[in-house]
Amino acid sequence: MLVDKEELFKKMQKAIYDYDKEGAVALAKEALASGIDPLEAVEKGFAVAIRDLGDKFDRMEIFLPELVMGAEAMKAAVDVLKEAITAKGETLEKKGTVVIGTVEGDIHDIGKTIVVAMLQAAGFEVVDLGKDVPIPTFVKRAEEVNADIIGASALLTTTMPRQKDLIEYLETYGKRDKYFVIVGGAPTTKEWAKEIGADGQGKDAAEAVRLCEELMKKKRGTA
Amino acid sequence: MCGVVMVNFNEVAIRAETGPMMAEQDFDMNKVARKAAELRKEIDFKFDPKEIVNTDMSLADELWEAGLKLFLETGIYSTRTRRLITFDESEVKHALKKARDRLEVGQGKDKRILYSRDVNDSRPPIVFGGPFNCDVSEDMFVRFNEAYAREEIIDLLFLPGYLKTLHGLDVRPDSGLSGKTVILYARWSREAIERAGRPGLAIVGHGIMGLNEIGVTNEEWGLRRTDPRAMVMLPELKVDDVTLSRLGYYSMYGAPLYIAFTPLVGGFAGGPESTAIVSVANHIGALMLGADIIHMGPQHIRYRHQTNPHSLWVANRVKQAISRNTKMIHLTSHTTAGRTGSEQYAYEFATLELTVVPSGSHIAGPRPADLKFDNHNSPLMARLFGEIGHAVAKLKLEETNDMVLTLFEKYKDRMDFESAPVGKPFEELYDVTTLKPTKEHYEMYLKVKKELIDLGLELEMDY
Repeated sequence: MLVDKEELFKKMQKAIYDYDKEGAVALAKEALASGIDPLEAVEKGFAVAIRDLGDKFDRMEIFLPELVMGAEAMKAAVDVLKEAITAKGETLEKKGTVVIGTVEGDIHDIGKTIVVAMLQAAGFEVVDLGKDVPIPTFVKRAEEVNADIIGASALLTTTMPRQKDLIEYLETYGKRDKYFVIVGGAPTTKEWAKEIGADGQGKDAAEAVRLCEELMKKKRGTA
Repeated sequence: MCGVVMVNFNEVAIRAETGPMMAEQDFDMNKVARKAAELRKEIDFKFDPKEIVNTDMSLADELWEAGLKLFLETGIYSTRTRRLITFDESEVKHALKKARDRLEVGQGKDKRILYSRDVNDSRPPIVFGGPFNCDVSEDMFVRFNEAYAREEIIDLLFLPGYLKTLHGLDVRPDSGLSGKTVILYARWSREAIERAGRPGLAIVGHGIMGLNEIGVTNEEWGLRRTDPRAMVMLPELKVDDVTLSRLGYYSMYGAPLYIAFTPLVGGFAGGPESTAIVSVANHIGALMLGADIIHMGPQHIRYRHQTNPHSLWVANRVKQAISRNTKMIHLTSHTTAGRTGSEQYAYEFATLELTVVPSGSHIAGPRPADLKFDNHNSPLMARLFGEIGHAVAKLKLEETNDMVLTLFEKYKDRMDFESAPVGKPFEELYDVTTLKPTKEHYEMYLKVKKELIDLGLELEMDY
């Protein structure tokens, strides 16, 4: 069956712009059935739109529900394509794996939810641990998924010390060098990150994404 | 049939354990976001940066109806039990009918009567003034709060501050050290108002130490039955188990319940229009949880303060909707980009006051949203905040939009935390022995006041 690839890529982008999860999945299946390279389908189709949505959110032209719906549609479509990519013995290029959560004692997680959506939009594999997360859980999950980065969020000045505890825990168990640790949340600063020995702090979701990208370049020696 | 009865805290607690289960993301996306977006289409309004102040009261009433519809759809989400605490229309209407429109707080000659205000109400707003939960250092806690309590225009001492360290150690929530900290927080707050000569001044307490915060309660040396206890709902329309536990405790104890929420423009509530609808629903949610005093902090996901145009626009309309359609005692908190010690700080809180006071709101604050130091606030600025609130009550909605736009021009280019003035901490703005502002700080206060008089506010220069 002859398929106009460019037309299909446009439809894929539209599905993301329309936050149409089912449509995105159907288009992913159509691409596979038509023999289109799944990697190309991700890069020239879905990823174009999700990056644009990330930029639109940054400019407040869209809001969190739209960003989350777009990211969910993207993830559903990529899950379909991933199987085919793996079957071909290839891997979907991912920027890195981030395990992220709000620290124990803190129940605020909207800021962290935005970072998750933006990281996913940027191509990171993200494990969202939710809120009120005990320190051992961060580390256990990071080990399970072979994470590159651990992100710890705190919205209260009284819960910020848990970010310091996370680093101390990693050091105590000899695991600090295995992961980059980044911190975020309204009261956190770059000075705080430096003081506790974290690898960085993002003042907002867009900066958190840039920080993760820089850290991954550093890890791959391309910085 | 036994007729409609008031939903009391027992019923809330039971519903939190037995209501329908739902995943949190479903609640965020499929209940709140979807329904708010639908309801938004039913109202003919759109954010306009040139029309921050609304004068069309039919729009305020439509907003109320939309918020009520939303709340009946969503109820409140209990984050621990992952259940919906829902209410039917008759229960909500009964609660609205029975809502307290008058409440005594404080004691003796420091007692204040809080009341429900109307749109264009010329009675002055109640001034909730204090550190507003900025980080307060151990050595400065009493003096800082005493300086606030000395300000006569403050009707209640508002959130005496986070004691984040004790003996130089970090205080983690629910740690052993936090148990001791909550007691000191209460004792030192009382000491501060006594030293200021206002022993009966009501203290709105909220130390954020987790559940052990209820340890502040003691009639002899701590927070009393006449001191409102602050609790916070999570955005949007959610409550956690620590808050529910504290609500249960304070309901039984008989202290006034002060419930705050911070609707987030750009978050799950969506844009400013749908956030306005969600904010109305949040007021109803707070009332159903038993609130006597309801606090809205109109937050913004990008700016993270409350004086950006979206937050101003939302707060103005929501406060009108609540004032016109309920008897709630409600207020608006004021957080800014510009920090204490800068003129911008004052321009910003004055701008928000101009939008909410004529809409029927009481006022709480102010505080920089992004603190750079411990003790990063000023009692003198709380005085100015109160004076502005009283002066704005003499204005009508029709008079304030131009003033809002004029003041906004003064800070519009420095609304991001990075570009906003850094300001100074209390120790640099005050002589901490005499508790008097420095000459420089006082002159800045007079300068801003003069500018506001020139703008049209009836402020007195020889206060």
